[in-house]
Amino acid sequence: MRKILKDALIYIIVTLVIWGVMAIISPGKGLLAGETAFKTFVNSVEIVVGVLLIVGWIQVWVGPQTMSKFIGEKAGWKGLALASTVPMFMGGSLFIIFPLLKTLRDKGASMACTMAFISAWGGKAPLLPLEIEFLGWKFAVLRILFIIPFAIIMGISSQFILDKLQKRRQSTKSPGLDVSKE
Amino acid sequence: MDVGIIYLAIAFILYIVSAVKDIKKTKQALIAFGKILLTVLPVLFLVFILMGIVSVFVSKETITSWLGSSSNVFGILIGEIVGSFALISPIAIFPFAGVLRDRGAGYGALVGFVMTGILIGVSTLPLEIKMFGRNFTIVRNALTFIIVFLMGLIFMLVL
Repeated sequence: MRKILKDALIYIIVTLVIWGVMAIISPGKGLLAGETAFKTFVNSVEIVVGVLLIVGWIQVWVGPQTMSKFIGEKAGWKGLALASTVPMFMGGSLFIIFPLLKTLRDKGASMACTMAFISAWGGKAPLLPLEIEFLGWKFAVLRILFIIPFAIIMGISSQFILDKLQKRRQSTKSPGLDVSKE
Repeated sequence: MDVGIIYLAIAFILYIVSAVKDIKKTKQALIAFGKILLTVLPVLFLVFILMGIVSVFVSKETITSWLGSSSNVFGILIGEIVGSFALISPIAIFPFAGVLRDRGAGYGALVGFVMTGILIGVSTLPLEIKMFGRNFTIVRNALTFIIVFLMGLIFMLVL
C-alpha cells in the first residue's frame, strides 16, 4: 500500500514538473494542453472506473489459482488451445504474469503453452471498451481476432526454435552424443 | 458517454452476484479495485498531460510523417520500437494510441505500438531472463517483434 502511494506521488510530481515547464515556456499552450487533458479525462473516466471494477472482480474470482488449474499440468493441443484463449481475460502486468508462468512451468506446462499464454494475455479483453473508445471498434475487433492465431503461432514456432537451440547446445557440448542422436 | 454507463452497469451486476455468493470475496475485489485505481490514476494523469502536450506542441505533420500511413513499413517499425521502450501500463496505452491516431498515425504503426507496449518491456527483461533464461527471453521478444510486424502490415492493408 505504501509503495502504491509513493509511486502515485512520484507520478503526480513528475507530471506537474513536465506540465509546469511547458506552461513556463508557453503559458497559452500549457493551458491548452491542460484543457485537452481534462477533456480526455472527463470522456474516459466512466469507462476507466467500470473497466477497473471488472478487472478487480476478475482478479478475485478468476485468480492465478483457477488459471493454473486450467493449464498447469495439461499438455498437448488441449493445453495449447486453453493457453491461447483463456489468458486474454486476465489483468495484470508482465511483472505479475512472469512469476505466475514460472510456477506453471515448474508444474509441467510445456514451452509452447507458456509462450502462447504470454502472447494471448496480450489480448487484454477486459480493456476492450477502452480500446474501442480510443481506437475504434474495427481496430479493437481485428486485434482481438488476431490474438488467438498469434498466440498459437508464437507457441509452436518458439517451441521449435528453442528445441533446436537446445539440441545444438548439447551437440557442441558433447559431440559424441550427437552421433547417437542422429 | 453511453459506453461507460454500460460498463458501470455490468460491473454493478457482477458485484451484486459476487456479494450474494461470497461477501468476503466481494470485499477483496473492491480492495483490488481500489489498489488498481490508485496505481492507474496517477499514471493516467501523466499520460493525459503528455497527450495534451503532444496534441498542442507536436504538429500533425510530424506524427503523420513518422507514423502515418504514407510512411508505410517504417511507421510500423517505429511504432514497435516506441512500444518496446514505453514504460506505461496497458491501460494507459490505448488512450495514448488514440491521440497518435487523431494526430495522423497509421493503423499499422498503432497496432505495433499497442502490441509491443503490452508484450515487450525493456523494464521487464531482467525479470524474464532470471525466470526463464536467456534463450527463452531472446526468442520470445524477437518472435513477438516479427509477428507483430506482420500484424501491422495486415492492419495497414485492411483498415
